[in-house]
Amino acid sequence: MTRDQGARVPLDVDISDAELERQLKETWSSKPGLWGAISTVDHKVVAGRYIATAFVFLILGGLLAMAMRLQLSQPEARFINPDRYNQIFTMHGSTMMFLFAVPVMEAMAAYLVPLMVGTRNIAFPRLNAFSYWIFLFGGILLWVAFALDTAPDVGWFAYVPLAGPQYAPGKRADLWAQMITFTEVAALAVAVEIAVTVFKQRAPGMSLDRIPVLVWAMLVMSFLVIMAMPAIMFSSTTLILDRLVGTHFYNPAEGGDALLWQHLFWFFGHPEVYIIFLPAVGMVSTILPAFVGRPLFGYMLLVMALITTGVLSFGLWVHHMFTVGLPRVGESFFTASSMSIAVPAGIQIFCWLATLWAGKPVYKTPLLFILGFIVTFVMGGMTGVMVASVPFDTQVHDTYFVVAHFHYVLIGGAVFPLIAAVYYWFPKMTGRMMSERLGRWSFWLIFCGFHLTFFPMHILGLWGMPRRIYTYQPELPWTSLNLFVSLSALVLAGGFLVFFVNAIRSRRNGLPAGSNPWGAATLEWATSSPPPPYNFRRIPVVSSLDPLTPGENELPVVAGLRTDRRELLVTSVVEALPQARESSTTDSVWPFWAAVATSVMLVWSIFTPWAVVWGSIPVAITLIGWFWPKGSPEDES
Amino acid sequence: MRVQSAGAMGNKMSARIWFGGAAAGLAALAAVVGWMREPRQYRASPPLTAALDQLRLMPNAISGTPPEVYFALGKPYETTAFDLSQGKRLYSWFGCSACHGEGTGGKGPSFIDGWWLYGPSMVSIVASIRDGRPHGMPAFRNRMTTDEIWQLAGYIKSLGAYTASVTATARNDEKTGRPAENRAPAALLFNQGPEPLHPDQGPTP
Repeated sequence: MTRDQGARVPLDVDISDAELERQLKETWSSKPGLWGAISTVDHKVVAGRYIATAFVFLILGGLLAMAMRLQLSQPEARFINPDRYNQIFTMHGSTMMFLFAVPVMEAMAAYLVPLMVGTRNIAFPRLNAFSYWIFLFGGILLWVAFALDTAPDVGWFAYVPLAGPQYAPGKRADLWAQMITFTEVAALAVAVEIAVTVFKQRAPGMSLDRIPVLVWAMLVMSFLVIMAMPAIMFSSTTLILDRLVGTHFYNPAEGGDALLWQHLFWFFGHPEVYIIFLPAVGMVSTILPAFVGRPLFGYMLLVMALITTGVLSFGLWVHHMFTVGLPRVGESFFTASSMSIAVPAGIQIFCWLATLWAGKPVYKTPLLFILGFIVTFVMGGMTGVMVASVPFDTQVHDTYFVVAHFHYVLIGGAVFPLIAAVYYWFPKMTGRMMSERLGRWSFWLIFCGFHLTFFPMHILGLWGMPRRIYTYQPELPWTSLNLFVSLSALVLAGGFLVFFVNAIRSRRNGLPAGSNPWGAATLEWATSSPPPPYNFRRIPVVSSLDPLTPGENELPVVAGLRTDRRELLVTSVVEALPQARESSTTDSVWPFWAAVATSVMLVWSIFTPWAVVWGSIPVAITLIGWFWPKGSPEDES
Repeated sequence: MRVQSAGAMGNKMSARIWFGGAAAGLAALAAVVGWMREPRQYRASPPLTAALDQLRLMPNAISGTPPEVYFALGKPYETTAFDLSQGKRLYSWFGCSACHGEGTGGKGPSFIDGWWLYGPSMVSIVASIRDGRPHGMPAFRNRMTTDEIWQLAGYIKSLGAYTASVTATARNDEKTGRPAENRAPAALLFNQGPEPLHPDQGPTP
């Protein structure tokens, strides 16, 4: 590394480790107190909040699911009136998709990617903080609306004309559309940060073929977000315009097109499924080797499968619309493309099976959840191939068969790996192990509860039970199975309760973890648990796919970074050759105020279009404050 | 070691902040939970509708006192977008436009010219729909539920309102031949020029 000419700036060479840690800590730590907590830009703190908030929304969405199961547990039940039921299923879907699944995956990326690529903070740290606040305010907006009995009641996909001006009076659909805007702004911000972090901030030597699979998965996910989310932001904005300003994007009577909504929504909505699933693929591929005692089988195949899935996911969206009456050729094309996604998915499954086959599995909780994932996801994939065929889909469209299918792929395909990931990375995030005994309890309760809850829904769907109904007549043959499903849902909820109890208890009372409790090979395990604010005392140098391979006790490091300002290393995209020392921004309270100003503008614009004009003034002021040079050493480069 | 203890300290601090924030959030949530702004009844409860049916009209069947329960409910049929929109759908489902056009009148009187033959109160309009009126207005007592009659009355009242309301009905996708319902009251529409539309009833209000 080159040194500064003057050599007056303090560098991390020729000083003891303790002294280096002291200087780095001074430079990278946030101030104590409330304002320090609000203004922090440490990716670990921000991502930790993101994860915790997303899990709060998982609990809330889960409670809504339990409310629906209570209502459906018997025919003609009167626990919930039809209007509230419509709000509840819309809130359940919107909360789970927009406030839990996508944010939690992006938050895991924001926490893990900088550690796994060996850098000191995420790219654009203030944008990261901004993103969290926007996400939080969007979630609060939706849930306050629910508390006020004005929650959206048009389904999580808000089809027009049902959600349009003629059939959705009041502000319910507008609140849904604006919540979308909040969460998409937040998601896009994190996606950009992840992509830049992966491309430009990898540790020296971590060429593209040495990136951990999780980081690859998060990179592909980020590109899916960047390319898919604009479609939904456009559609939610035009829906608000139709409803508030009187445009006619979706109004056939004035030359608009109601079907345009479905195309735009599913052009986002199908990649969304992979935005949730691909990180899970990365998690499984990264966790598995630590529990089978051998490296992952087929690294290159898995990475190619990830990228293929990402590309293919943009060519499938019409399979959500098979029953709207599209041309036959279109339906055939999308049947074929939907079935072809099974090829990369199959490659992934076989790579994991081969890894398991050739290794010596140690059945700890994360591995149990991964095995549960493989079983459940394969079943969900099978029903996916079934509903990819038009005649079959026409039969089961809008029935509980589809409900069963997508819960199998979403919970089986994403939540199981996510829980495995929490068990696996909890020691890194908190410095403490989660209880193995409670872990096993939570796995068996969740696994059995899940299958007992959702498998009978296939049968209910084949027996003709439609989705989104708030009750059914006792003469219909669905009564006993529905009661069974509702009781099984209690088991599933119990499993999640055990999981949350375990996490909360272990956070304070768990056994100390040490830096690498699983003997894993990726870089995040090279630093202490929890990692210090600067992540690594010295930025590591990578020379293989598994930098912490057992038996190699020495990890080469980079020297020559400044310690008096937040500084990290920028490397080339392909080979990760060092290019420059780049400063990383300091803490700032302005991202918080910018998020407040943006939220005021967005919420206000539900009621009058003039909010966009007047509300943009505070946004501009806060952005000026955000970017105004403060004379800190970080401003120099 | 020092790093770890600092991390633990940070955790404790942030935990306290989060606990405080969560408590404040929950308190705020609890405060607003009781404030249900726009309840929507898909099935109105029978005792309520029975009470709503108890209008006390003046002897000439023009104006009168609405049932107490209407005020206890918060005048929903005039103030919630859902009920107004339901009223609008009932307007087309029950063929009101056959005589009243799109509110502009035809064989029957207009609703948007500022004139109310039996007065602009909800009770009068409900009574007109329920019991019918001379010169051709049929009674809908046996064709609509009480809930529906009130919804329709609320919508009709909003058509010819004298003052602007923050509550609006749903907007039509189709073009309409009259101004939108959610406009501010158009003084121009009420200004009928030198020749009043209803010369038999004196000057316009």
